[in-house]
Amino acid sequence: MTDYSIIGKRMPRVDSRAKVMGKARYTADLKLPGMLVGKILRSPHAHAKIVNIDTSKALALPGVKAVVTGADTEGVKWGVFAYTRDQQFIQTEKVRYIGDEVAGVAAVDEETALAALDLIHVEYEVLPAVFDPMTAMTTDAEPIHEEFPNNINIHVNIDTGSVDENFKKAYYIREDTFTAPEESYFHGEPYAVAARFDADDCLEIWMPNGGPHMKSKPLSNAFKIPLHKVKVRKITIGGAFGGRSEICPADYICALLAKKTGCPVKIVFTREENTIATRQGHAMITTHKTGVDKEGRVLARETTCYMDGGAYSSTGPIATSVPFLSMEQAYRMESVRYNGYRIYTNKPIRGMIRVHGRGFACGLDTQLDMIAEHLGIDPVEMRLRNSRQPGEFTSTGSQVWSCAMDETIKKAAAAANWHEKFGKLPPFHGIGIGTNSVQTGFPMGIRGGSQSFIKFNEDGEATVMSGVVDNGQGNENMLVQIAAEELGLLPEDIHLVSADTETTSSDPGSYSQVSTFVGGQAVKNAAANCRKKLFDVAAKILKTDPDKLTAKNRMIFVTDHPEKSVSIKKTVRVALLNFTSVNAEGGYWPRVDMKREWVSNPYGQMCEAFSFGTTIIEVKVDPDTGQVTVLNAVACQDVGKALNPLVLEGQFEGSVAMGGQGGMLTEYHDWREGRCLNPTMLEYKVPLACDMPEITGIIVESVDPRGPYGAKEAGMSIAMSAAQAYAGAVSNAIGVYMDSFPLTPDKIVAAIREKRQAVK
Amino acid sequence: MQTIDITLTVNDQQQTLPVKSNDTLLEVIRDYLDLTGSKEGCGEGVCGSCTVLLDGHPVRACLTLALEADGCAVTTVEGLADEDTLSPLQQSFIDHGAVQCGFCTPGMLISAKALLDENPSPDRQKLRQALSGNICRCTGYAKIVDAVAHAARPESGCPDCHTKDSGGDHD
Repeated sequence: MTDYSIIGKRMPRVDSRAKVMGKARYTADLKLPGMLVGKILRSPHAHAKIVNIDTSKALALPGVKAVVTGADTEGVKWGVFAYTRDQQFIQTEKVRYIGDEVAGVAAVDEETALAALDLIHVEYEVLPAVFDPMTAMTTDAEPIHEEFPNNINIHVNIDTGSVDENFKKAYYIREDTFTAPEESYFHGEPYAVAARFDADDCLEIWMPNGGPHMKSKPLSNAFKIPLHKVKVRKITIGGAFGGRSEICPADYICALLAKKTGCPVKIVFTREENTIATRQGHAMITTHKTGVDKEGRVLARETTCYMDGGAYSSTGPIATSVPFLSMEQAYRMESVRYNGYRIYTNKPIRGMIRVHGRGFACGLDTQLDMIAEHLGIDPVEMRLRNSRQPGEFTSTGSQVWSCAMDETIKKAAAAANWHEKFGKLPPFHGIGIGTNSVQTGFPMGIRGGSQSFIKFNEDGEATVMSGVVDNGQGNENMLVQIAAEELGLLPEDIHLVSADTETTSSDPGSYSQVSTFVGGQAVKNAAANCRKKLFDVAAKILKTDPDKLTAKNRMIFVTDHPEKSVSIKKTVRVALLNFTSVNAEGGYWPRVDMKREWVSNPYGQMCEAFSFGTTIIEVKVDPDTGQVTVLNAVACQDVGKALNPLVLEGQFEGSVAMGGQGGMLTEYHDWREGRCLNPTMLEYKVPLACDMPEITGIIVESVDPRGPYGAKEAGMSIAMSAAQAYAGAVSNAIGVYMDSFPLTPDKIVAAIREKRQAVK
Repeated sequence: MQTIDITLTVNDQQQTLPVKSNDTLLEVIRDYLDLTGSKEGCGEGVCGSCTVLLDGHPVRACLTLALEADGCAVTTVEGLADEDTLSPLQQSFIDHGAVQCGFCTPGMLISAKALLDENPSPDRQKLRQALSGNICRCTGYAKIVDAVAHAARPESGCPDCHTKDSGGDHD
């Protein structure tokens, strides 16, 4: 195994010092001279025509500097794909959910801005609204977007053939339906955006984002200004979890207010706005029909999923596909038919979330447990019989080069004492296993690759430029580690310039789990090119060949004669004196099938690597109250290569909390006619420190042949598999296979009661 | 709106500030004093991101009126370090990887300090309870609990602390 200096070490993160001192600035902390407060007027109706908007009284209020409505916009519609452009940043004709943007105000202070919102008079003509996907699809349902019949926003159809024939060969077939409502991110940081136009009419803008370049393009489209005039600036980000990826209407409204007033404007969302008007996780109704042979090997599967997409497309085609893709990666299913429907409803917009498709995945794993029980097979063995193997192709045609799925299952089972516990636990104690696989990247077209530039300073330190953004997961540290490793410097010698669209090249952003694989690899390649230039200079100083040199610990030395050395600082200075550049660029483009498309052609190489994760959870359930106590949690993931185990463990632990503890026990939204009843932290229950079990994290390294140092996605496979393991553990504890998630106490008590009555 | 002068000793610096009667302590800290380490995450006293010490006791600055703090000593996250020297608690958060997005970190540090000031060697259960008024969405609390436990008993060879074995090892 290669001996790295910095890669693979437990290194405290470079960004943590500023954060523990309270010095890290988030968007809401920004103060610019003359800055105004922006607020957004939102629709109080789930579905209504806008008949008239009168802003005169608001404009007349002292302290109000501007009011903007749809009439002030260029009318551009946003959509992630050309065929999903359905959302205006400020509505002009109708509103489609409670919270839709109707107007924006900029004023000297918050009180004035809020008072001005009350003075905007909007005349609505209320339309019939639909709140659940099954009703929305009926022919007499009110159309939410005229161009989408039956309110079907997206239909993904995947069919590998032979499904019906293989069902005929099956020894045992089951069909079960599973449901889960919407969930939310509840990022630490509520959304905020600050914007100003400079003297050259360039838009300068700060906001939490999943990729600055993903923000600048839609803003340039919306304002019809060149891309170089949109400068998305770096700012500390308080969590993303998939919910900061797309352009937010507030970005545009804030910038429009800044343009109109000539002053900087800042909009800070309330917690309620963050829940309603950013993104949510999709509610899903999923039916899995699975046919197996006598040994439990899946011969055929048919899955149909209806997803409540809310009012607009968002990442619709991706969102409709990913729950299926994660499972086709985790488990072999050569013969499968998938129909995923994303349906418009008059509810907030749904996008990607850390545990995307909890009902889907938990349903599939629960059904595997049901089948295993019927056949008398242990659930761990059931998974080993169906698990993905290295070298195979997924059912949609992605080759899986590295895969240690079996190792994660076996190691997790050993650490959790599965075989000593399964079937042998006391009443109302249970143990469950979940396995999942997550993509290291989506096909991102023109923005699929990343480029980095590195320059040396005369003191021998280096400045690394990369478009990669850090949402809190540790991407900045990852880039610094990679650059330091390749250049032979120490982490403190690396100055990072990142996540700024003016100074960095295009990058896919962090939202498809691709930052390390693509962005990290771009920095690695740039640093390797830099090192080559350094070695050319150092070789002359040391009177040797460049290929005989090694760089480490700020020194360049002859590999076989370490005593012959020169400092990197001196090498850089010699290069400068000789007018020789030691700066370099490098990039990385994932080798994926560019013809693959989410809806029109969902076949071909999806991404270059897949992560594989197994979580095992042990619980006890109070049969009287339905309360679940987690006794043990083991999370094991094939991450390819752990660049920093300290960071990876943190990802695992956070994933168990959000995916399992919150996602499967307490987190969901309640609704009344399109109004979210629990948008705040008081009503929406996220896990607390006292709720969480101690977690055993196990890192498995399959060393991906294409990943940087062998690394691939890390953490998401745990979030997904944790949800599945929690579902399995509770079902195992109460002796009822649960089909409605999350597993709240009321459902658990009802299931126990129903079971007792059935026995009587 | 009319303002009223109040006196606060913030991070050992005494100041007199004109505040409005409806200003919260958080607004005064963030907007008047530009101490933006304390965060507003929910505005209703649930998330704990705005936690500060008021005369040594942890309070939600978003639910505390500035007028209530008149004459009090306030400690914010900016007051934990001695110039550039971090407190052992801050250093432990860094060493244990307890910081991810960092938004909850200031409030979490203040709650942890309040706990350790009152009970220098809490067991892990006590520690979890004491931190349960601070919501973190990134970490699952595991490394935060490790960090506080280690800060409480650095000499006891914290079993979950591997950092000292290999941390800072760049050779």
